[in-house]
Amino acid sequence: MTSSPSETDTTPLQEFADRVARAVGGVAELQFDTAKVKVAPDSWVETHQTARDELDLVFFSWLSAIDWSNQVEVGDPPSEEVEERIELLSALSDVTEGNLVIMSTDLPTDSPKIPTLIDVYAGANWHEREAHEMFGIDFEGHPNLQHLYLPESFVGNPLRKSYPLLSREVKPWPGKVDVEAMPEKGPADEEPSTENPEA
Amino acid sequence: MTIDADTVRHLSEVSVSVELETEDMTLNIGPQHPSTHGVLRLVARVDGERCYDVQPVIGYMHRGYEKLSEVRTYPQVTTIVNRIDWVSGYANEIPFIVAAERLMELEVPERAQYIRLILTEMARIASHLVFNASYPLELGAATPLFFALRERERVLDLLESVTGGRFHPNFNRIGGVKPAYAAGSNTRKLPQDLPAGFLQETRDAMDKVAVAVDQLEDLVAGNEIILARTRGVGILPPEVAFAYGVSGPNLRASGVPVDLRTTEDYLPYDRFDFNVVTAENGDCWDRWSVRLQEIRESTKIIQQAIDSIPSGALQAKVPKIIKVPKGETYVRAENPKGEMGYYLVSDGGQGPYRLKIRSASFSNISILPWILEGILVPDIIAVMGSLDFVLGDVDR
Repeated sequence: MTSSPSETDTTPLQEFADRVARAVGGVAELQFDTAKVKVAPDSWVETHQTARDELDLVFFSWLSAIDWSNQVEVGDPPSEEVEERIELLSALSDVTEGNLVIMSTDLPTDSPKIPTLIDVYAGANWHEREAHEMFGIDFEGHPNLQHLYLPESFVGNPLRKSYPLLSREVKPWPGKVDVEAMPEKGPADEEPSTENPEA
Repeated sequence: MTIDADTVRHLSEVSVSVELETEDMTLNIGPQHPSTHGVLRLVARVDGERCYDVQPVIGYMHRGYEKLSEVRTYPQVTTIVNRIDWVSGYANEIPFIVAAERLMELEVPERAQYIRLILTEMARIASHLVFNASYPLELGAATPLFFALRERERVLDLLESVTGGRFHPNFNRIGGVKPAYAAGSNTRKLPQDLPAGFLQETRDAMDKVAVAVDQLEDLVAGNEIILARTRGVGILPPEVAFAYGVSGPNLRASGVPVDLRTTEDYLPYDRFDFNVVTAENGDCWDRWSVRLQEIRESTKIIQQAIDSIPSGALQAKVPKIIKVPKGETYVRAENPKGEMGYYLVSDGGQGPYRLKIRSASFSNISILPWILEGILVPDIIAVMGSLDFVLGDVDR
């Protein structure tokens, strides 16, 4: 269950990630039992075509994005400065061995654009609509890029880090006290630490 | 006017000689409809009895959990994820907790893992029993509901005796599980474990569930009306299912033996002997049948786990304030509805930087426009019901 990036150099997962990266011309990145392959936005559709036809990654699991931003309206800002970008992710797996790879590409934060994957995986339709409304990503060639969850009149991209959570603006989050240290220390309490207790 | 044989003949001749003006009608089903397991709206173009261009309208249950989890701490997110698929709330917790544990590189005690596994399978049984109750009902057979819900109540009572919750157990902690029984306090720690007699009661209950599954099978499989309405209806070929990400029993009914319990290591399923149930045709009947058989397999898994459950701690040592180290991971699990996964991005803080929730029902109903194309209007209910979705799992 536990494996750190350093000790997984020769595992089947690493081999799989390298194989995928070679086939699609990307960079493999392995952390915590998850294989991620970073590709250029230009080759996004080709990458998926290769993955489906040559690597047998026929199962389209999901597509979503991460807004990497140093300015956040809600939650904690990143602990270190990050390169501001929208990271588009898609998860593909095979149906025989249980391999799964996360395809990743970086898009600019301002007006991100990428061709649609519908012709490769028909199921990308809804996922792209969701990513469109939540992150403002424009999927070129999508036949029906309308809001999926949100009402048509909704303005803004809620999962962007720049989008405030209005209920928290009006009233501070009452649960915030829960994360502060307890006033008294019980006998079994430890100093707060993120160290692995096994180490 | 008297209608005799000549009149009828005359009328029928009239009707064939004239080209009937037919017009397509737009039919709106829902958002409130007894067969939709939540608020789903379908807009279909209907030509006579056949419907085309079916467009599901979702979002009535959208609660923005992905955004909410960015302002919550890890233990608080567990509460949120419980409410995604409320028919099997317990099973939703597991992949999220495992994702956080994987980033923290925590080793969860064996006993806690076994308890998680037993309760996950109980959640699966409860979920599949709801399907076995509601699906025949949607097709007009009310009796199986009573058999199925009686057994579900048995399972939920046991689940409640351990976790304190029937629908939203919120029972997993990062590093282990926390029984409601003898929970102790800050100053005085009482031994925490399963309630006395729980394992034996569960073992016996599983025998009863297995008997009820036989009864359900007798009741439904011998019903000609149900057979006529489900056999050969709503056939889902595997290639289409792959492209849309349809998973779980829906995929196995199409003959694909994909079961994440056998390929992923989120819980120690590899120690138990069970079959991955598949069917051949991928029609509504097969989807019903696969779910029924899976209840049997789950009862077997639970009984094996009870027989071999190790003793020991229920909770690994974790700091009081949980901070998850920087990293990204994707953990997926075989939930009752299909593949449920969490892509967890942590920045070293007390809450996720980003949490992508991959829920099974979302992908499972994205197939609706494809599978309902050209189908008869009454078959909409048969097909939709057979996909076994929960709108909370669709909208998140």
